[in-house]
Amino acid sequence: MSTTINPDARTPSAGLIHHALIYGSDQEFLAATIPFCLDGLAAGDRVLAVTTPANIDLLTGALDTAAAEVDFVEAGNWYHAPGRTLAAYGHYVDDHKRRHPRVRVIGEPLWHGRTPAQQAEWTRYESVINAAFATSPAWIVCPYDERALPEQIVSDARRTHPDLMSGPAWQASPAYTDPVAFTYATDHLPLSPAPAGTATDFGFDADLHRMRQRLASLAAGLGLGADQTDRLMLAVNEVATNAVEHGGGHGRIRMWIDGDVLVCDVTDPGHLDTPIPGYLPPDPAAPRGHGLWVVRQLCELLEIRTGRPGTQIRLHLARI
Amino acid sequence: MRQIKDVKLGDHVCLAFAHEAEQRAVVTAFLAGGLESRERVLYFSDAPGSDRVRSWLEEAGVDVASAGAARRLEFRTAQESYLSGGRFDPDTMIEILRREVDASLAAGWAGLRVSGEMSWALAGQPGTDQLEDFERRVTGVYAVGRAVGLCQYDARLFPAERLTGLTDCHPEQAQMNALFETGTLSITPTFDADGARVLRVAGTVDHSTTPTWSAALQQAARAGGDVRVDMAELEFIDVAGIRELASAASALTEGSSLRIRHLAPRLRQIITLVGWDAVPGLVIEQEAVRA
Repeated sequence: MSTTINPDARTPSAGLIHHALIYGSDQEFLAATIPFCLDGLAAGDRVLAVTTPANIDLLTGALDTAAAEVDFVEAGNWYHAPGRTLAAYGHYVDDHKRRHPRVRVIGEPLWHGRTPAQQAEWTRYESVINAAFATSPAWIVCPYDERALPEQIVSDARRTHPDLMSGPAWQASPAYTDPVAFTYATDHLPLSPAPAGTATDFGFDADLHRMRQRLASLAAGLGLGADQTDRLMLAVNEVATNAVEHGGGHGRIRMWIDGDVLVCDVTDPGHLDTPIPGYLPPDPAAPRGHGLWVVRQLCELLEIRTGRPGTQIRLHLARI
Repeated sequence: MRQIKDVKLGDHVCLAFAHEAEQRAVVTAFLAGGLESRERVLYFSDAPGSDRVRSWLEEAGVDVASAGAARRLEFRTAQESYLSGGRFDPDTMIEILRREVDASLAAGWAGLRVSGEMSWALAGQPGTDQLEDFERRVTGVYAVGRAVGLCQYDARLFPAERLTGLTDCHPEQAQMNALFETGTLSITPTFDADGARVLRVAGTVDHSTTPTWSAALQQAARAGGDVRVDMAELEFIDVAGIRELASAASALTEGSSLRIRHLAPRLRQIITLVGWDAVPGLVIEQEAVRA
């Protein structure tokens, strides 16, 4: 049974608090977010609100003079790529946790106009938050606008957030799934193939110098700019290094252009054992494990399938 | 940049050095290499007395006395060579070199190896303004393939602009032999004017060269003091390679730093992304960087 907790009686836990706020009206949005902001400011917490321009207007109107103490960012300027957004939140929390008991965030992800692949990875991102910030003094409320969002996205929010907020109170979400166990609806399906006749591919082995030479010449042929080629080389090299050192020892690279995006699949016969690969901010002093995290920073999107036939890692990079 | 071991008959190279240790390493390897290759060796020193270079060679195991007795190894001062006749005249000097090459071949040697200290050119003797002209033309004497020349310029004494002009008169610059070399990676020691060691990295650091890269950095870290790493000639480095820089910086004694120069902006970004910019002792020198 889920229980309702009175926030006034709340003993703040030291680590992450992560709520979904599923709202159907402006009033419902404000009934939860305004006390959240004001309680936070009263407690000396730092407050960040990343949401739609319309909701920023609602919040600033309702908060009145207190709005000046809240950091506002439009969601379109924040939710660029799951790995990068995660890192940006990480930096924000790190920057403020020393001088504030807690960092409160209203974080309303951007769902409109997302491709199915982006929707899958942004949903996974919501789940990953639970692991990435587990020990952070962060309280994150993620608003989901029931009026505008497809039912699938709203129901996934119940699986990716430990608690559901309503007004100033919240209750545990019965559907919540641990981030390591979380799977998206399409995770068991193969990634969509390249449109017929558009892909070029080649094999690689431990000679990654040769791999990079072939990759660079293919990237030039596909019209990739110098800066993006630079990103591609670094990112693919990290994935291929994993394949060579920890995976099957060899693999294939397959690239094609999809609109404004260069898609690059790196496949190898090995299996990837790391849970939530590349999502958790690495310890700088660790002897390994920084590669995939950097890859997520370099790319717009990363899709991973690992299992029986091997591992497939799909990198999406903007062409310009 | 050519490692001194790869400088052969036909080459005309210069060494712009900022520390005696670098000059010593390059000059010793160059002269000893000539003696090993059955070439005759001619050395022009700035000041009278050649004890310094002789002792470098002796400590490197060269039998200087017998090479000198056989006239295979000869030392002359600038006054006896570049400035003979009381002034510097490119035509005269080129003629002297041509004759020395012919004489060396006639005596049965494989060729002539020449190295000259060039600081005499700063003393304001007449004709020294023609040094650039000489350096450009003398390339032709060496290019025939019977001689090889190494011109030594002290970067602490020559004004920077003139030094660049003079080094540009040589087809290539020489550097110390690599400390570490694999198929795609070479790490060459060099020195800053303050005597600090600089590791000059060229080529690629990836999973195949990480052990070499790591060993070079750890060895430099153990030597004590600052470690400087020049990445201007680096073509590629992976995340593990960057991690080795952070790891070597962590291994330094307190107060010392590992300073990276000529780091590509993308790599600087990765260092920040991972948080290695917070490693005490890891310093990224702020200067013009390549794209």
